[in-house]
Amino acid sequence: MYGAGPGLNESVIITRGLTKIFEKGKKREVVALDSVDLEIGRGEVFGLLGPNGAGKTTLIRVLVGLLTPTAGTASVLGKDVVEDIDYIRERVSLLPQEAGIYERLTARENLMYYGGFYGIPTDELSRRTDHLLDIVGLRQKEDYQVKSFSGGMKRKVLVARALIIEPEIVFMDEPTTGVDTIGARVVRNLLKKVSSEERRTIILTTHDLNEVSELCDRVGILNEGKLVAVGKPSELKEKYLAANLEEVFTGLVTGEGVYKR
Amino acid sequence: MRMNIDVKTVWMLKKEIKTVLRSRWLLLGFIISPLFAWLFQGAFLSFIVAQTTEETEMVYITVEDDGALGQGLYAAIQGNLTELLIDPLIEVNRTYAEGLVANNSMPVWVLIPENFTEQLVLQGKSNLTLWVNTGNFRATAAAQRIDAFARNYIDRIQIIRELQVNWYTVTPEATYGHQLAIFLVMLTSVLAPAPYVSQSFAGEREKHTLEALLVVPMSRVKILASKLVAGLLLTMIYSVFTIVGILTYNLSIILRAESLPQDAMQYYINLYTVNANTLPLIFFCQFLVLLCAIGIGVVISCLAKDQSTAESINNLALLVPTMVIGILGFTGSISQYGGIFGLFVMLIPFTHAIVFLNEVLSGVITANSIIGIAYLIGFTIAFLLLGAKLFEREAIIA
Repeated sequence: MYGAGPGLNESVIITRGLTKIFEKGKKREVVALDSVDLEIGRGEVFGLLGPNGAGKTTLIRVLVGLLTPTAGTASVLGKDVVEDIDYIRERVSLLPQEAGIYERLTARENLMYYGGFYGIPTDELSRRTDHLLDIVGLRQKEDYQVKSFSGGMKRKVLVARALIIEPEIVFMDEPTTGVDTIGARVVRNLLKKVSSEERRTIILTTHDLNEVSELCDRVGILNEGKLVAVGKPSELKEKYLAANLEEVFTGLVTGEGVYKR
Repeated sequence: MRMNIDVKTVWMLKKEIKTVLRSRWLLLGFIISPLFAWLFQGAFLSFIVAQTTEETEMVYITVEDDGALGQGLYAAIQGNLTELLIDPLIEVNRTYAEGLVANNSMPVWVLIPENFTEQLVLQGKSNLTLWVNTGNFRATAAAQRIDAFARNYIDRIQIIRELQVNWYTVTPEATYGHQLAIFLVMLTSVLAPAPYVSQSFAGEREKHTLEALLVVPMSRVKILASKLVAGLLLTMIYSVFTIVGILTYNLSIILRAESLPQDAMQYYINLYTVNANTLPLIFFCQFLVLLCAIGIGVVISCLAKDQSTAESINNLALLVPTMVIGILGFTGSISQYGGIFGLFVMLIPFTHAIVFLNEVLSGVITANSIIGIAYLIGFTIAFLLLGAKLFEREAIIA
């Protein structure tokens, strides 16, 4: 069953006391992650929530090996993110928060280029590209250079690009930002399908709490680098005596209006 | 199934090149700028050829000989100023003229020495000394006319006498064409990689494509290497069109000089054209300069926050010293400075490519220029390693 919490399912992501400190000059330090303990199971759609600067992007960057932890440990697919990053990178993909796209390449070329790094045979890569472009509704424009696309269309190409390698874990930092309502629905349906039918783990950050409620099996709320709550949306509402997830989130971040059961 | 690293490198290389080839302005820049630079020079020098056959030049003359032939030659020159395109002819003493030579401010100085007539009468030959600033086109042309005129005048008086004219150059001997090749090739090569390098590093970061790229299963060193090789291959387009530009430039000079008398034609062609045999060497030096410029560009691009900043800093950091050494090299005096300025000139890596090329074209290679080339290569390696370090750090995406 999806959405099982830590200990009830095979954990593909485990962090223990994960801390990341950025040095800003000689005297100032910024604690981006503060002793984060987290487990995410295989096939889960896990939502990372938090205000801007809470540490969501930093957590994702540590888990894909772009940043090195200052303290604590993190493992992905049973491998340490510092020691075995090559193993991890073969099996995960990332849609960064402000992911750019190669505008002089076509939609098809963008997908094929990215997939090419993973040793996927060309004909298989081509089949997956056709399939994903069909799903996101861009098959008709596959040979157009991406520079002619709208922001939402580019985002769809990027979502497809993150899925082209059929990763075991997909990290998506705000995947529907800038996508129109219909496009966002397409992306959400795609993520649901990837999660439910293919049992891929999806870690996504978003500011859209409806999206979280619709997609995520569990959520984790980060505030000032600390993981202040983890659980299913329904559990959190019950735990904090809130009418909806927005109340939980606002209360935990601002410290007002939530009462712990 | 896994693709090995080399295949991934080639995969990325192909994409880098494909992206740039679709950037029409960048591509046109690689093709048009060397062609434009050389065609402009061709047109300019064709104009100079015309100028040196029509424009007058200031000539200094010192007559130390009281004899009939020395005085006669002076009078003959004075009487044919229009034909010789001399305006004015200034008579000066030797000390004053030597001072002008020492200051490199002498266009042409004709020295008729003390024993000029005596030697012609007693030995049948004598020396006329010409000091010429060969960096000055009109001065060179004026000296050539005086040379021919003096031989003709002395021979006309006494056919058995032989006048030997000694030429001394105020600047080191080198043809204008070669100096131009050194100047243009170095200057433009230094700037050629800047647009690509800035786009490929700072541009990728600014457009947020770098983060996803750094997550693919490929080491950063390999990613960096792919970008460097792509940069080098792309700037080779520039090098090829530099050679095309040089050949076109040569052709323009030959076509312009064709209408001149045989001697003058040969003189201008020898002076202004770039010897085709030297093209491989020019290509080699350009390769070293391009690689060094790419190394510096990578370091700047890894530190700059966006593409335009990287490009601006790159141009500023490379253009000023390159202009300085380019102009010094153009006038043939790159190694003559001492003190802090001399040290500054020698610290610029491109200096050594110019010195080396200059020496090879002059037929004399010194140990110092070999050491200089080693310094250039060492400098390039140091910057590439520094670039790799900067590319490896976390802040590249933060």
